[in-house]
Amino acid sequence: MAKGQKMSPHPQVPMGLEAGPFHQQLDALNGQHGWMNWMGFASPTVLDNMEFEYFAIRNQSTLFDISPMCKYLIEGADAEKVVNRLVTRDIRKLKTGRVAYVIWCDEDGNVIDDGTVFRLADNSIRLCCQEPQLAWLEDVAWGFDVAIRDVSREIAALALQGPTSAALLRTLAVGEVEHLKPFDFAPVRIGRKKVELSRTGFTGDLGYELWMKPEDAGTVWDALLQAGNQYGLRVIGYQALEMARIEAGFLLPKTDFLSSRTALRPDRTSTPFELGLEGMVAFDKPHFNGRRALLRLAGSPPRRKLVQIEVDKDKPAVNALVYHRQKKEVGMVTSALWSPTCKRNIAYAWLDAPYCEPGSEDLWVEIYLQKEIRWQRRMERCRIVTKRFFSHERRAATPPAGF
Amino acid sequence: MSEAREAIIIGAGHNGLVAAGLLARKEIRPLVLEARDHIGGMLGDQSFRVSPMPFSLRPEFLRALDIDLPAVPMATLVASPSGKTIRVSGNRVEGCDTADAEAYEQLARRLARQAEALSGMLLRPPPSLDGNSFRELLSLARTGLKLRGLGKTGLRDLLRIALSNVHDLIDDEIGDGPLGALLAMDATLGGAMGPRSPGTVLPLLYRMTANAGQRMMPAGGPTALVKALASKVETAGGEVRTNAPVKRILVEDDRVAGVCLESGEIIRAPLVLSTAAPGTTLLEMLGPEYLDAEFVRRCRKMASAGMVARLDFELSAAPALADGTQLTASDRLVIAENAAAVEAAFNAAKYRGLPERPVMEACYDAGRGLLSVSAQFIPCNPEGGWTKVLRLKLEKAVKGEIARIIPDFSKLVLSTVLMTPQDIETAYRVPGGHWHHGEFRIDQLLMLRPFDGASNYRMPVEGLYLCGAGAHPGGDISGAPGFNGARAALAGRRR
Ligand SMILES: Cc1cc2nc3c(=O)[nH]c(=O)nc-3n(C[C@H](O)[C@H](O)[C@H](O)COP(=O)(O)OP(=O)(O)OC[C@H]3O[C@@H](n4cnc5c(N)ncnc54)[C@H](O)[C@@H]3O)c2cc1C
Repeated sequence: MAKGQKMSPHPQVPMGLEAGPFHQQLDALNGQHGWMNWMGFASPTVLDNMEFEYFAIRNQSTLFDISPMCKYLIEGADAEKVVNRLVTRDIRKLKTGRVAYVIWCDEDGNVIDDGTVFRLADNSIRLCCQEPQLAWLEDVAWGFDVAIRDVSREIAALALQGPTSAALLRTLAVGEVEHLKPFDFAPVRIGRKKVELSRTGFTGDLGYELWMKPEDAGTVWDALLQAGNQYGLRVIGYQALEMARIEAGFLLPKTDFLSSRTALRPDRTSTPFELGLEGMVAFDKPHFNGRRALLRLAGSPPRRKLVQIEVDKDKPAVNALVYHRQKKEVGMVTSALWSPTCKRNIAYAWLDAPYCEPGSEDLWVEIYLQKEIRWQRRMERCRIVTKRFFSHERRAATPPAGF
Repeated sequence: MSEAREAIIIGAGHNGLVAAGLLARKEIRPLVLEARDHIGGMLGDQSFRVSPMPFSLRPEFLRALDIDLPAVPMATLVASPSGKTIRVSGNRVEGCDTADAEAYEQLARRLARQAEALSGMLLRPPPSLDGNSFRELLSLARTGLKLRGLGKTGLRDLLRIALSNVHDLIDDEIGDGPLGALLAMDATLGGAMGPRSPGTVLPLLYRMTANAGQRMMPAGGPTALVKALASKVETAGGEVRTNAPVKRILVEDDRVAGVCLESGEIIRAPLVLSTAAPGTTLLEMLGPEYLDAEFVRRCRKMASAGMVARLDFELSAAPALADGTQLTASDRLVIAENAAAVEAAFNAAKYRGLPERPVMEACYDAGRGLLSVSAQFIPCNPEGGWTKVLRLKLEKAVKGEIARIIPDFSKLVLSTVLMTPQDIETAYRVPGGHWHHGEFRIDQLLMLRPFDGASNYRMPVEGLYLCGAGAHPGGDISGAPGFNGARAALAGRRR
């Protein structure tokens, strides 16, 4: 698709949005002209067809521009201390060249955001996340010997995800692919440009993220697209990734949970225990933000939980309410999808205690379907699922398979 | 490492000594550690007292500590425009127009009633904002009952004026003049607010809670008070050490473990009560690593710019006012023409300038021939810094104002000692050299004192308590924060 298509000399930027480092390339491929606002940047929703893009994630390789992510560099003698004070996990164990998925909480133990930390060196850590956090980081770092810099605009980034992604990188002579394990990262060269390659992503499958200077973005893009020709590489928009994200079991702030910094009503916030992330709270490390509140919360069962559910039949339970015995309202769905890969009707739902515990019976979702302007209401059974819906062994195999 | 102790108290100011005395009575023998070479905190010693007029002492805790220290009533003197001296003692006024005196007395009685209703609240931990415990609810209910005793109109009046500004109250009720100056000074002394700043009636009421507005000096003055407090601590098995500045508060497993002195000496103890300022205690001695970011931010953002300078003038003879009235040891002198003059002095300080005409209170120690002056509004951090020139300028301005009231003053002065707010900051390790260890204003009072989340004396690290002037109910030589803080620590041990 990309091949032979001429780039327009003046790429269109939707009103009020900014062109990111890959905008010219994305605009040339964006047949749908579907854009959304991601941190003020124009980010494609779908380039030509969401289904094609989704199946490319699961069967081939895909490229998605993640440059709008917020990125912060935390450097100095106390960098480790500050990040460990910020997040609930113990990152003292995180070695240089490793990445960790992290969450952080406010003083009441409510989650502020999630993200990834990259251990660049002993005294240098990069944090990537969805929402701006500079003010919060400065608060957390007050009194410590670190410098914090917003490097969001200094780094362009791409997610290269899918079963053929390792093979694709091999043809670009990226030898590091052979020993990069999940959550490793290493400096590589692509199109002679320096790129930091991390084995991370949101799809639950084999995949990588590439971090580079914005001025190198075009060269790296061209190299990837050229090499991708024989691996079915497809540039994708947000909607296809969103499908894969739900299958893979990653939470999305603002959709599945609300940051405690944006929630106005106190009961709209959520704790790590409610999000099912209790495994990420390390009480056995020095004080971190919200620790005392979390200790208190850990002592009593959560008021509700975000759980994975599987729904009968094939109609996605988008925005559905959840009932016990078809009568009592006990929760609501945040994300839902008929998973083409798992062939299951899956969703995330907030369920009140005690219905949020695995094994709860007689749970129903209320699905509304519109058929020729008439709404139909359907009650379908659902049950709580604890295993990830989609997780392929390819994801972790090292060296990665060809495809 | 030194011998482990049952409790450590940081600071031997009056609040530290009150807290130590209370613990010692419950058989927890505290070690009091004082950075300076003398005890008493701002009450000072013979050589200099930052705080010469301990009028706000709460009789309740003297009783609780079994201290029998009689107190003598003090009168406040202020000059009328004609040069005649007006004398106010409690709610009674002499030396001015009957109508003015009556208006003042009526207002003073009204304020005293309201202060009395609030009084109980200051000898109890402040109500908390979340999850009221039964005890807290009960104590809140008790205050509520007291407030109801004011009657519907009285309560409405209290709610109306508590947050208003004292200048309006003066204009409405007595008209501005020398008596207005008195109220304006009592409402603003020690803070960074002028009489027109909102919320200035509340501090006035706070100041009237001890002895229903009658100012009392403990017999024997500050020396006797400090001695009585210290001896209570020592006879009950406590110990007071001077020249022992604490550098760090030690923490193990999220519990207080003791302190490390600047000398490097480590003293272990499961209980630490600090009367140093909130920021000094939490951010310097404890350190942000043990605290949540929000807590640290609120602590950092506490307003605590002090605006009172202290000057001691050694005099060759007892001073007399313009109409011949002698200033005695049981008098307090207020020098300000009216509330508007107090506001004018504040205006300059607001922009880091020296007021041309500072306003002040003073007392005279006849035994030592010393006139002690607290001058406000003197910025802690003036434009251009505290240069020699500026210090002289301040001395000159203060002397000039005193000379308007005590005509012979310049001839009487033998020597002068000046402590700017910045000097006090350094000497007593109090941010801004602040009278109350932190501004006394509505967003830093009650359950917001010293700041939201730190208001019930217990700090987030188990075993650490804050009980100096920065804690509820605030500064002045009242003993209330030390008293409440020690009680909170005792309650914490029982749990
Ligand atoms: C200029 C001025 C005039 C005042 N005049 C009056 C007045 O006339 N009447 C009145 O009622 N109030 C007056 N006040 C207010 C009054 O002095 C204070 O509110 C009161 O002293 C507070 O008592 P405290 O015990 O809490 O603290 P402080 O008296 O400040 O005592 C705290 C003690 O802790 C010690 N300390 C601090 N850090 C450490 C450390 N790291 N290790 C060991 N020790 C430490 C300090 O050296 C100090 O001795 C005045 C205040 C000022 C600034």
